[in-house]
Amino acid sequence: MRRRMVFTFLAPAVLLYLFFVMAPAFASFYLSLFQTSGFGETPRWVGFGNYAKLLADPIFWLSIKNMALILVVGGVAIFALAFLFTILINSGIWGKKLFRALIFMPNVIAVVALSTFWSFIYMPRYGMLSNLFKSLGFEQAAAISWTTPDNIFWSMLVGLVWISTGFFTILILAGADKIPTDMYEAARIEGAGPIQMFRLITVPMIWDVIAITMVLWVIEAIKMMEFPFAFGGPTPSQDLLTPSIYLFIMGFGFRQPVYELGYATAIGVCMFLFTILAVLVLTWATRRERVEF
Amino acid sequence: MRPSTQQRLHRGIAWIILAGWGAFTIFLVLWVIMASLKSTRSLFGKPFEFPSSPAFINYSKVWVTSHFGEYFLNSLLVVTASVIGLLAVALPAAYVLSRGKFRGRKALLNFFIFGMGIPIPLLFIPLVVMLSEIGLIDTLTGLTLVYLSVSLPFTIYVLQGFFSSLPTDLESAAVIDGCSDWQVFWHVMLPLATPGAATVAILNFVGLWNEYQISLVLISAQENRTLSLGIYSLITSMQYSGGNWPGLFAGVTIVMVPTILIYIFLSDRMISGITMGGVK
Repeated sequence: MRRRMVFTFLAPAVLLYLFFVMAPAFASFYLSLFQTSGFGETPRWVGFGNYAKLLADPIFWLSIKNMALILVVGGVAIFALAFLFTILINSGIWGKKLFRALIFMPNVIAVVALSTFWSFIYMPRYGMLSNLFKSLGFEQAAAISWTTPDNIFWSMLVGLVWISTGFFTILILAGADKIPTDMYEAARIEGAGPIQMFRLITVPMIWDVIAITMVLWVIEAIKMMEFPFAFGGPTPSQDLLTPSIYLFIMGFGFRQPVYELGYATAIGVCMFLFTILAVLVLTWATRRERVEF
Repeated sequence: MRPSTQQRLHRGIAWIILAGWGAFTIFLVLWVIMASLKSTRSLFGKPFEFPSSPAFINYSKVWVTSHFGEYFLNSLLVVTASVIGLLAVALPAAYVLSRGKFRGRKALLNFFIFGMGIPIPLLFIPLVVMLSEIGLIDTLTGLTLVYLSVSLPFTIYVLQGFFSSLPTDLESAAVIDGCSDWQVFWHVMLPLATPGAATVAILNFVGLWNEYQISLVLISAQENRTLSLGIYSLITSMQYSGGNWPGLFAGVTIVMVPTILIYIFLSDRMISGITMGGVK
């Protein structure tokens, strides 16, 4: 392949990527060192001032707490379900492909669309849950308000887990499908049950797939915005705040303009550093020699 | 070997759990469509009952009064242009990254893959500042360029994997027959790569159709809104309009039906495309 072709074929992609992804990403490090509203006003150099302010900002810490809960509690639930579905789908039942398609289906529907449905489920008094409990005669359960400050985060998390599970299930399932079936046959003859086979064959054999999917979840969880934001509706509750949503509010305002561009960008930089750190830690923690087969 | 009673029991339980989970998704879709045809009163009074007389007026209202007709066209335009542009840019790049022999090939590929780890919200503010300066803020052109660019890492990653999985002997044969590099790409490799290209096109189409955080940041004029942004603006206006839920669900139906239809016909291809990218 000639040099000129290599260059011509790569140039458009590299230029677009540099201009619209990498340049803004690097610019954000620089921008986070200024205080600016962005409207003709000369940005004021504050050094690491925005970061110092962040560390002392209780709302920022609240968003970090929510992020950590999504990452850990949501992650455990999602992976538990994904493992469960992998075991169940591979237990030799009828309709494997259909179930796989149905489990993945929430991923093809717009998150805003799904959030409206989940808002209706939890709506006080008229919502689906209230109605369901009422018709079953559980008056007390029907009276529970799922959207109070104490409950709303967990209500949201249930919806989020439901949305995200399909993606991780199909990845783990695809990994498990590559394992030679004679290994399972041998184990079955030895009398192993589905859970034992999953633990002793599937998990070690697809360890690298599990590690990759965990990395993908970490990236996803740290930047989480769309579902909690839309789920919050017209007046997003502070209890649903994630760093991304806080960044958005600080940068563009919600109802009232804020325009703290430098400060908002500093939040983004923190998220980016978290992502890198978390991915490094996770890669280190899941390192293991790859099983060849 | 016939399954034992215990095995049958296990499979029965497995089937019930999976069917329950799957049924919930189907229920969601059907319920939303049903709710979109109800009056507000019957939606709140009897949320699980079929509408006695379908209120198609919800659709004409949302399509015309709430401008969903325009949003639909905007979405279609932006997403189609993004996907076509993406293929035009990513296919040659992925080909060279897979087959080219030059120093730094692996590094460049990793540089693209690295983009998948960048949280999109990090780009919000620099993008707005930059697009304002070049006059592309709040335009469909600007949105298209950003959509195209942020989709590059995943697309190049998957396509590069796809090109690498193709056999090399056809290329060698073409070169021996006197084809130029360009002819090899255009007449030999591109036709072979069609299935991979189609898969990433569908995945990106669905993903960008559903996207709303970037458009939320870049688009402010009402006439430039995309469909998901239209839904979001309906959600935020609920506070004032007193909650026209059936109208909202009509909008939701309009945004979700196209992708569900695509999925019904192409679910196998989409799933294999995702797993091709994620698991290798």
